[in-house]
Amino acid sequence: MATERSDLLQGTLDMLILKIVALGPVHGYGISQRIRQISQEILQVQQGSLYPALHRLEKRRWLEAEWGQSDNGRQAKFYRLSTKGRKQLEAEEANWYRLAQAVGLILQTGH
Amino acid sequence: MALRNLFARKRPPDAELDSELGFHIESLIREKIEAGKTEEQARREAALEFGGREQVKEDLRAVHRLVALDNTVANLRSGLRLIAKAPGFSLAVILTLGLGIGANSAVFSAIDAILLRPLPFPDSNELVLLHQLDHRAENPNQFIAPVRLLDWSRRNGTFQAISGWYTEDVSEKSGALPEKVTEALVAPQFLRVWGVWPAIGRDFSQQEEHFGGSHSVLLSDRYWRRRYNADPSALGKQLRIEGWSFTIIGVMPASFLFPDRDVDLWVPNPMDAPYGQDRNSTWFTAIGRLKPRVTIAQARADMAQVQTQLGRQFPQSDAKLSVLIDPLKETIVGGIRRSLWVLFGSVSLLLLIACTNIAALLLARATERQREIAVRFSLGASRLAVIVQMLTECLILVLIGCTLGVTVAALGVHTLHNLAKTIPRAEEVALDWRIVLYTLVCAVLATLLCGCIPAILGTRRSVATRLAHASRTQVSTRNSLQWLLVGIQVSCAVTLLIGAGLLLRSFQALARVSPGFETAHILTLRISGNWGETTNFKQLSARIDRTLDELRTMPGVRGAATTAMMPGTTGELTTAVRIVEKVSDQSRKIVGDSRWVSNGYFDTIRIPILAGEPCAAGQLETALVNHSFANAYFSAGSAIGNHLDLATNPYHNPAARIIGIAGDARENGLDRESVPTIYWCISAPDPFPVYLIRTQSNPMAMAAAIRRKIHQIEPSRSVYEVSGLEEHLSDSFAETRLRTILLTLFAMTAMSLACIGLYGTMSYFVTVRRREVALRFALGALRGQIILRFLSRGLLVAGCGCLVGLCLASGLTHVLAGMLYGVSALDPETFGGVSVLILSVAAVATLIPSIRAARLEAISVLRDE
Repeated sequence: MATERSDLLQGTLDMLILKIVALGPVHGYGISQRIRQISQEILQVQQGSLYPALHRLEKRRWLEAEWGQSDNGRQAKFYRLSTKGRKQLEAEEANWYRLAQAVGLILQTGH
Repeated sequence: MALRNLFARKRPPDAELDSELGFHIESLIREKIEAGKTEEQARREAALEFGGREQVKEDLRAVHRLVALDNTVANLRSGLRLIAKAPGFSLAVILTLGLGIGANSAVFSAIDAILLRPLPFPDSNELVLLHQLDHRAENPNQFIAPVRLLDWSRRNGTFQAISGWYTEDVSEKSGALPEKVTEALVAPQFLRVWGVWPAIGRDFSQQEEHFGGSHSVLLSDRYWRRRYNADPSALGKQLRIEGWSFTIIGVMPASFLFPDRDVDLWVPNPMDAPYGQDRNSTWFTAIGRLKPRVTIAQARADMAQVQTQLGRQFPQSDAKLSVLIDPLKETIVGGIRRSLWVLFGSVSLLLLIACTNIAALLLARATERQREIAVRFSLGASRLAVIVQMLTECLILVLIGCTLGVTVAALGVHTLHNLAKTIPRAEEVALDWRIVLYTLVCAVLATLLCGCIPAILGTRRSVATRLAHASRTQVSTRNSLQWLLVGIQVSCAVTLLIGAGLLLRSFQALARVSPGFETAHILTLRISGNWGETTNFKQLSARIDRTLDELRTMPGVRGAATTAMMPGTTGELTTAVRIVEKVSDQSRKIVGDSRWVSNGYFDTIRIPILAGEPCAAGQLETALVNHSFANAYFSAGSAIGNHLDLATNPYHNPAARIIGIAGDARENGLDRESVPTIYWCISAPDPFPVYLIRTQSNPMAMAAAIRRKIHQIEPSRSVYEVSGLEEHLSDSFAETRLRTILLTLFAMTAMSLACIGLYGTMSYFVTVRRREVALRFALGALRGQIILRFLSRGLLVAGCGCLVGLCLASGLTHVLAGMLYGVSALDPETFGGVSVLILSVAAVATLIPSIRAARLEAISVLRDE
């Protein structure tokens, strides 16, 4: 099965990160794994985009970070969703569904 | 929280970044090992998958660096960089702001010094001027007799001191040539009233203030520097004034310029002199200092009571008089108050236009930078941070403009000092910390005005995020705010233009007025004398007649005469007279301007004699009247032969016989209609009349020769105020001219600024609509149609602005009403002319970008998008 990796736009990446983190505090490696797993290998985030995005979201106070122990005993930086972040996620999700619906409607015409 | 971010430079140390990324890579490696790869392989693959670790760290550092731009210093640096990138725009903004703020500060410092600050005397609000009013006389305001001044001074209960002065121009003869000096003769307690004491030396003593006491004199600082080079040993030296020696006892401080800027010396006038005891004499202007906490109302009541007492004691002279009291400051600055506020209004309008201009330009730039702002957002800046950055750029521009503005203000203050002759208290105007503070406040307001709106509008997140995703600009951005700003500019410019237009027309009308007498080829001068000469009238007349005769014999002189008042300048000359033959007919009050002229007057300044004859030499008790007077008070042709005398005639002068009728002339000022006038024939109305000498050639060319001749005739007298009559009359227009020029300058600047605003906004408008225009072309529109669309949009805005401006102007021009001549405040020609001007200029300003729009190549534009 030839899975084509799609390019993620930056805004969309932000939204996905927020969604993953909403499920519970997680470190950067965990986020990249989960995106791969849940999207069934369609989406793979480049680390070059992931970490800048994480730091950016942290600076914007949508994520809060804390150093803690990972399950293999090593120190890792865990990110969790802040209240502001939660609100932002809701807004972006709503927007995405609206957009997807509109695009889908247009694509359906004529076929 | 966000604000704290602005100033913090929180950057996680490298070690932390390393740790975080390291953890990820280690986890990747472990995952691969668990999937069955060797450690070697796992490491390699992990490294490949992860990408350049250093690269990622660099990117992370970039993220933090960009966020650290919230820091003000970095803001400033980026602001400066942006300014350097657009030098034309930045220069325009700086110049506009500099001029606007500078002019504003200069005018404000003038208002502060002249209107708001108290006079430079201790407790200056206690100083008042006292006037004596005789209601029965046509000219009620009179000078005060010394004995009455003394009575007021002794009998009042509300003043600390009352004193008085009068000035005369005399000859000082201790030098090589007699020199004219202005001498102020002052009543006792003069310095006590002002509260200012000599800088060196002492005040007059009691003995010196009495008749027969030693003669002493106080010098003004200016005279002391000029004559004695500021040498303190000048004290004790002697001055020779009109035949007496005066000892110098002190020098007044440089700031003491009262009663007049030109006063060189102060000399005490003894109140007990035998020649000064007549209660009807009119010598002094009186000034007083109220007791602390006494109000003017109380003082008025007090003096009314004092004068009533005097009226009972001396019914002949005092019963009809009353006392008028005015605060001193009001007398000095009252006249110029209106001019200053008009000026301030104009300058503020100009600054407003400048700020709206800059705001419009900044708005255009902000919209252009949408993409850059969007990128900034996506890289993590908060909205506040971006706004602060844009405001910082604006602030830098404003601060530079401010510095320029302070320089302009300093220049303006310097100019004001040079204009000190025409503007009261101008020497007190200075640039101090309050003015600089005011300038800064202007600057801050300007920043907020110009920078806030564009910054807030330009960083609307919805727009920014949309742009980050989309690659094309919106098709129909609504520029309503920018058009509104341009409209405001146009209306302000129209208001200023109308004001300037009215003043210009009024000035033109003045210039065209025919004065009714000839002003060219006439030299005017005065020869010094002193009031003491009035004791022997015959001698005084003989002296002046002799001078006139000698002058007439000079080659190049076509006529000479004397008059009490310079023709063409305004004075309060209205007198009530009686026609002796009609004294029984009490129905009308007969008033006219009185002028005292010698023989040869009408011939010298070419006022036509309509009937009868002019004044003859040596013939007293004769008079002429002008055409208006004859028409008003006599039936046709019957004026000659009647006798006139003054309605109030305290000295019982004999009546004068009317011997001729003269043509009407605007002797009372070129901007007024001529009034009924009586010309009393007398060559020596006072010891220093104005001499009018008609010369064949250029009057000033003969000045030196005439001086020499007069020195021959009268070696002990000095000649002063020598000028051509034309120059003298044009000087009296100086303030009007200055006002007109200034307002025209402002109006022109306002119009240029409005023009630039129109052009800039239209340019931007056209650029934004590029695609729309290209589409229209592709759909078959003609070039002419495109141009018309843009032109009509521009003219619509200009037209609305013009209309608003016209309405504003019709409301505001009544402020100028007192300064206009021959043109009404709602003059339709001016209003119409300005509208046409601004609409044509607007048309040109919008035409150029419109033509540019029409030249677009449709294909290339669409391809570019």
